[in-house]
Amino acid sequence: MDRETRRQLDEYRRTEAGPVENNLIDELLAGELDRREFFRRASIFGLSASAIGGALAALGDAPLAFAAPVAHKAGGRLRLAIIPPPVKSLDPETYLDQGGLETGGVAGEFLTRATQSLTLLPELALSWKPNADASSWTFKLRPNVKFQNGGTMSADDVVATYNRLLGPNSAALSAFKGVLSASGVQKIDSLTVQFNLDTPTASFPYLTSSTTYQGIILPANYADGTFQTTPQTTGAFKLDSYTPGVGAKYDRFTGWWGGSAPLDGVDVTYYTDDAATTAALLGGSIDLIGQIQFATGRPLFGNPNVQIFAARGATHREVPMRVDLHNPLHDYRVRQAIALTLDRPAIIKTLFDNRADIGNDSPFAPVYPSTNKSVPQRKKNIALAKQLMKEAGYAHGFSITLTTEQTGEIPQLAQIIQRSVKAIGINMKLVILTSTAYFAGTQSGGPGGLGNTPWLNTPMNITDWGHRAVPNVILNSALETGGVWNAAHYANKKYDALVKSYEAAIALKDQQKYSGQIETILLHDTPVIFPYFYNYLAAGSTHVKGYQADALGEIYLSKTSLA
Amino acid sequence: MGRFLLKRLGLALITLVLLSMIVFSLAQLLPGNVGRNILGPFASQQQVDQTNHELGVDRPIVVQYGRWVSHLLHGNLGNSLEYQGSSVAGLLGPSLVNSLKLAALAFLICVPLSILGGIAAALRQGRVTDRSITIGGLSLTAVPEFVTAIVLIVIFGVVFKLLPTTAQAPPGSSFLVQIKYLLLPALALTAVLFGYIARIARAGVIEALDADYTRTAYLKGLDTRTVMFRHVLRNALLPTIAVVATQTGYLIGGLVVIEKLFNYPGIGQRIYIAAQNKDFTMLESGVLVIGIVYLVATLVADTLYSLLNPRIRYGAAE
Repeated sequence: MDRETRRQLDEYRRTEAGPVENNLIDELLAGELDRREFFRRASIFGLSASAIGGALAALGDAPLAFAAPVAHKAGGRLRLAIIPPPVKSLDPETYLDQGGLETGGVAGEFLTRATQSLTLLPELALSWKPNADASSWTFKLRPNVKFQNGGTMSADDVVATYNRLLGPNSAALSAFKGVLSASGVQKIDSLTVQFNLDTPTASFPYLTSSTTYQGIILPANYADGTFQTTPQTTGAFKLDSYTPGVGAKYDRFTGWWGGSAPLDGVDVTYYTDDAATTAALLGGSIDLIGQIQFATGRPLFGNPNVQIFAARGATHREVPMRVDLHNPLHDYRVRQAIALTLDRPAIIKTLFDNRADIGNDSPFAPVYPSTNKSVPQRKKNIALAKQLMKEAGYAHGFSITLTTEQTGEIPQLAQIIQRSVKAIGINMKLVILTSTAYFAGTQSGGPGGLGNTPWLNTPMNITDWGHRAVPNVILNSALETGGVWNAAHYANKKYDALVKSYEAAIALKDQQKYSGQIETILLHDTPVIFPYFYNYLAAGSTHVKGYQADALGEIYLSKTSLA
Repeated sequence: MGRFLLKRLGLALITLVLLSMIVFSLAQLLPGNVGRNILGPFASQQQVDQTNHELGVDRPIVVQYGRWVSHLLHGNLGNSLEYQGSSVAGLLGPSLVNSLKLAALAFLICVPLSILGGIAAALRQGRVTDRSITIGGLSLTAVPEFVTAIVLIVIFGVVFKLLPTTAQAPPGSSFLVQIKYLLLPALALTAVLFGYIARIARAGVIEALDADYTRTAYLKGLDTRTVMFRHVLRNALLPTIAVVATQTGYLIGGLVVIEKLFNYPGIGQRIYIAAQNKDFTMLESGVLVIGIVYLVATLVADTLYSLLNPRIRYGAAE
């Protein structure tokens, strides 16, 4: 490193960098982070490109080289299939479904955007910076961002958007509950917003990214119900028309801060049937499908006219077992025994042709850097399972009902579990509902505190969960005492405390220390089986260029073109 | 004739009122809470109750029914509960038009083809033509429509790429382009209905050919052509008309599977999704609309029937 670079880096560390940034650079210099991981973490903590370059130069690395932009062929309209169509309205704070988040996401933008490699890119925020314990984050907004209905984005719009996201009816509470409250969002100046968190959260910038898909920035005067009637997002495309259940039409937004998107527009057709979508792509009626399933889209794989876009992620299924009922699942040994009957490598081979990672019964997917991989992987072990059943007093087994939904490969997984537990004498009855019936009912109040909806109240079930860039949402909502989606009704004070420590931990090795302890507790208690984390898959014709699948299903087309 | 039609119309209206009552009560039986469905899982019970109150769904069922009917009579179908901010009429209208287009094309292809097939089979009774038409038609009818549809999609849409696999033409397409898009689903429907209609037509023709009046007509010295058109077909096609009319309801409201496979936004899919998502206002109006279409079709069939067969109109007028 030349003297000038060292001087700049020292200057940065002395003046600009806070303890969080200095800790990160120390980790890099001490060899605890590799270059790729340093990039990822630098993006979370909002280090500038010059600071990143300086730190890498301190290690003797070459200066940052940015890939030359790929030349795109301009023009054309992309025909996009979204399956299934959005349910309910298009107001972003209400998104809970794939169709809604995909439809909104074509037009909308977030403060930050999570990439496939789990780094964060600046989007409507240019930079962000934590205080010493990551309990307060300051975001500098991008200047001169135009809304599609004419206004210029300022801190007021961001504060108003976040107040909506933190309101009582917002679906984004699944991400923000316990982390951020409406009173914590403050305007500092016209282009600076400060988030004062309820609890220190080192990964907070992820929650402002596209992975909190409700977080589309809207004008301060946005009125519910107007998303589909007035284009008012900031993205490269504006939603020009929307017919519920039929389709949507987007045109290029000429005032986009990012310049001009290659495509003239996007025509969305909603589908309800996988076979129809597959036929439409093979027959040339559409160019891109937002999401495909391996189980139902087999003709697309290996077809020379089709490209498959895969994103490794943390999309998964959870098999919660209620710990609070008077049935055998009450005993942790029984829950362990059930988990031990599963032949996970065979399951991912059957269901995904190995396009998936094996789960170890905790939300820590292999894709997360903070996952502690030294915790042993749970493997099929029928002898141990039988012994555990015997110790628990169920040597001769018992009967139990597993309730689940007709979604993707879930019914097949249910059958696999049913067959697997037969080996330890458990007679499992399957109840497979439509998704609507499975998620119907209330999710709060009632004797268990989680209403009466089947997915949160049946003794044992299987539920589909989307990808998150960090496991926090699942650690909190699905497993913490009193969590809003705690289907196992699990309560463990030691676990709760460890999650708080994990979320506040800034150094990666501290995160891994806590994640290792969390993983060990969850393996012991086994409130939820996490059998696998599968790749998010999309498919397109070979004409589609510059598209990348997003692990959560966001469809980001501002750099996409048609050859 | 006028009295006959008036009587049929009166019966149709009574049926409609009964239908509206049944539809309304059935919709109430669907599980789920309207307010909870609209506001989502995070809303408090108080907010849910408030929404239910605003929508009036917490009142006695008789009051709700009365309100619904009075709105209906004023031409107000209300707003969709699922797609907030969209009116039911605005969503059902285009779906109904789509369904009518598909049904019309399917009718135009299927009805003449099956009647001709039935006549040909009857005239060559017991021979190869007859056997191939009856057995072929029966086999096609026995194959579920989603199988026929997928085979058609794979052959014409994917392998040879002759016809689009989706039924919905791009907005603003010309008449001919729209027909091109609708051809595959219409063919799938033809496959389903051909065997059934052809069989009825065949049976009618065979019966009429055997009838005394046909023998008399021949003995009278009339040529085959005149006998066929003036005596045989006029009597033979009566049951066929009744059968065709009863298929109208299916063709317009019951095509959920075909609409799904060809991703066609018809009224069948609308109602199916409404039933799944507890969109009561959409469901009730949608079923009622199909009921009306069905009744109109039956009425038209009855009229045709009575025109062709004087016995019916005189018998009914007593």
